[in-house]
Amino acid sequence: MNALTSRDVLRPGKKGLARWIEGRVFAAMPYAFAFFRRWKPVVKFGGMTLTSRYDDVKQVFATDPVFGAPYKPKLDVIMGGEPFFLGMADTPLYHRDTDAMRMVVLPKDLPELGRRAEAMAEAIVAAAPGRIEVVDTLVRRVTFSVLADYFGVPEPKGGDLRVWGTRLFEFQFADPKGDPALRADVDQIAPALRAHIDAEIAARKATPGRDDVLTRCLALQKKGVPGFSDVEIRTNLMGFIVGGPPQPPMVVPQAMEQLLRRPDALAGAQAAARAGEDDLLWGYVQEAMRFDPLAPGLPRNVLVDGVIARGTSHETPVQAGDTVLAAFASAMMDPRRVTDPARFDPHRPASNYIHFGYDLHQCFGRHINRATLHFMLKPLLKRANVRRAPGGAGRLVKNGPFAESLTVVFD
Amino acid sequence: MRQTTLSVALEVKPESFDHLSGLLDALRDRRSPNPSGGTGPFADFLTTVPAVHFMSLSVFPGFDYDPLFVIEANFDGAPGPFWGQLETAIGPDLRSFLRCCKRPLDHTGDLFDAVTAPDSRAPIAPYLEARTLTPTVYHHGNRGMTRDRILAEGELFLGTRKELANANDGGPSPYRKLTPVEIHAKLRAALLPQFGWLAEKAPARIPFLQSVGDYARLAWFVLLVVFALSIPGLILKSQLAWQYYAGLCVALFALFTGILYKMGKPLPGTATPTRFSFLTFFLRHLLVPVVIAVAVYVAIAAFITAPVWSWIGHKPFWPAWWDMAIWAGWSGASIAVTVAGILVWLRWLERRDASQDAPPVDPKMLREMARREDWIPQNHMGSVVLIKPGVLRAILIRVGHHGLHLLLRAQKAARNGYLGSMRTIHFAHWARVNNDSRLMFFSNFDQTWESYLDDFIEKAHAGLTLAWSSGVGFPPTRFLVKDGASHGRQFKEWARHSMTVSRFWYSAYKDLTAEQVERNYRIALGLRKKQLSEKEAAAWINDL
Repeated sequence: MNALTSRDVLRPGKKGLARWIEGRVFAAMPYAFAFFRRWKPVVKFGGMTLTSRYDDVKQVFATDPVFGAPYKPKLDVIMGGEPFFLGMADTPLYHRDTDAMRMVVLPKDLPELGRRAEAMAEAIVAAAPGRIEVVDTLVRRVTFSVLADYFGVPEPKGGDLRVWGTRLFEFQFADPKGDPALRADVDQIAPALRAHIDAEIAARKATPGRDDVLTRCLALQKKGVPGFSDVEIRTNLMGFIVGGPPQPPMVVPQAMEQLLRRPDALAGAQAAARAGEDDLLWGYVQEAMRFDPLAPGLPRNVLVDGVIARGTSHETPVQAGDTVLAAFASAMMDPRRVTDPARFDPHRPASNYIHFGYDLHQCFGRHINRATLHFMLKPLLKRANVRRAPGGAGRLVKNGPFAESLTVVFD
Repeated sequence: MRQTTLSVALEVKPESFDHLSGLLDALRDRRSPNPSGGTGPFADFLTTVPAVHFMSLSVFPGFDYDPLFVIEANFDGAPGPFWGQLETAIGPDLRSFLRCCKRPLDHTGDLFDAVTAPDSRAPIAPYLEARTLTPTVYHHGNRGMTRDRILAEGELFLGTRKELANANDGGPSPYRKLTPVEIHAKLRAALLPQFGWLAEKAPARIPFLQSVGDYARLAWFVLLVVFALSIPGLILKSQLAWQYYAGLCVALFALFTGILYKMGKPLPGTATPTRFSFLTFFLRHLLVPVVIAVAVYVAIAAFITAPVWSWIGHKPFWPAWWDMAIWAGWSGASIAVTVAGILVWLRWLERRDASQDAPPVDPKMLREMARREDWIPQNHMGSVVLIKPGVLRAILIRVGHHGLHLLLRAQKAARNGYLGSMRTIHFAHWARVNNDSRLMFFSNFDQTWESYLDDFIEKAHAGLTLAWSSGVGFPPTRFLVKDGASHGRQFKEWARHSMTVSRFWYSAYKDLTAEQVERNYRIALGLRKKQLSEKEAAAWINDL
């Protein structure tokens, strides 16, 4: 099947022994991180430098003149060479583009996004006869429907936005070795998505639609506000589709899996969901995510010679050209800055979490995530006797870094 | 949960004193519309630094030393997470404060450079951690009460007031006709839906293992002090027959006590009226503990040394133990002589100490202090004094402060938040700064500064004098605890002179006194129980 018409959101993963080993490697990471935090907080493996302590991870994220985001080359492939702020350094263009997007992605939208996510999740759960698959049936459907609708990017004819967005996300963020088959898919999907959004922009110009991000972009374009040419609008919308909706289907089921492992936490989250204590429910979800976050870490390219943890006993020089992995999963488990990190505590201060990165390239959609992720689980958590489905289906299955399936049952 | 009290003291570039003071004022002004702090945007401290109870940022002007910037913090849990939270809350401000400070010449210099370099984005928390001072003495007025628990129980108290005030529904209060047991049951039923945590078991304020540690550390300290004081006796007894040894001890003791009798009287014009008598105090409070401590010391010392003596002297264990016990026992008898000798030395120094009769106070700074005081039921003070020189003073301040610290952790009244008969302190601590040449004191207390010190002068002057009499210029003192702070006016002037303006001060529960926190605790503790006995309810209802 051609990538454009494929309905398989995830590509076939490893099988047999290779899959088993992959699973064990991911499962062993927290222990490895604990070892490194204690004994070798900054460790070099070939050209890659791993930082595992909270302070050092934040320093790497915050020092973008030395530790640059490595996303530009692949973004150029996806965006057809057009610059997107995720791939930029701390330049005036970066600030112009992010400021421009903050003019159309507004804080006042967040409550409505949360309501839509909850309403759709409720409809999906209500239609399920006491058994639901969390990854695809619930979270991915809600995420792509609500967010694509909000951005103003409809489903492509003959294609599936979930497949296109996830495939491009995998290429951009989860393909360190450069899989040729994936690149072949991307070479089909990226131009098609660009054309799809271009067509939507043209259609909206002819027939203005309802209030969404695209409509607001076109309104500002009319006023001559910089940063809203057709190509710039398309690039930013593509960036949102590629960088945004593919992530909740990874982290939200992982959070559900962590809650299922902790009966007390699950009971607490359910009580918060039933009582309508949404902030507390968010506390449960983001705390659950801390035990299995989006990724072990994020890479950064060393742009000029520098030093990690200067002045400390583990200060380590790095050279231009090195790659640094800022292990934010490890940072959130660092007892030096996180009180009793092994304890599940839904009341932790926000500074304990680095789910959405830190400083310059902190996730643009973090506020949308804060407003929606817990609402995707809320209707399910309100059900009575939520538990794992019998057998393997009741355990979270991963395909590389992606959550693939998790089925739960309820009364 | 364990509470932590600590401070960070950093030398300031003299030319940056005014700038740093301005930065601290700006931080306070930005976060609070009134000088006391705690309202409006300042309240975000509650969420970004959820561990903190009280925190202050002060700059002491430089006279004998360069100015000193001090961060004083009292919080729940370990220091690491607290520093991380503080950096999140006011990281850029902290970096600008640090840029006003001098580069330390010790091993933290490189870390300072990393944090203060132009455009630096290095984390600040590691530097503050590396520069953290451990208090020599600290006191917690509501020990074991986490900030969140204090706030939650404060809300519960308001809930009880509301329920009691509004339950009448236009008529007489239904609570008036009820017995204490029934009042408890009705009030609990009314509040339980709003305060679901009342159904949970109350966490222990001081966990068992923490208590064991407190008592064990104090016992170990006492044994070490007994051992140290017995060293002269151990040496002499190993060289002299018991008759000569006993004679020497008696002679020296008679000599020292004779000298003390003469020297112990106050110098002209320095006496304060007191009924305190060392002899009475010793006989009432110290004799039994000292005898027990010496007996335990003798037994343990004999156990530790007996195997060696058994090996050297080719003796069975118990005869060897007995030999050692006799030796240690004789040395224990010499402790009185050693103490008397130390007191002679101390009194000789005290009689020559210079006290400051009229310490100068900068009127401008006094106005600044007064402008910030008495906005809320709580107040704050920070003070730095020079430590008197000399070997004996250097030893006494260390041993005395450490002993006082351990005593405050183990003594029943202090564990309940009392100093003497007062419970007006939330958090207070002493620490040595400037290479141990100055003594710093911080207190977060209830009531006005005047009444706070008056209380201490009247009710706890001995402890206050013990902790502070090593300060240069302190009012005339006898034997570390007598007179001293009892020179009320002189002591208060001396204390004011040593203080600085609390430029930034934060209290997480600005309306609650230490007494009220305890009252709320007792009310909550009662309401957590499903049922009280008549006796319990009668006592509990007094707090409503």
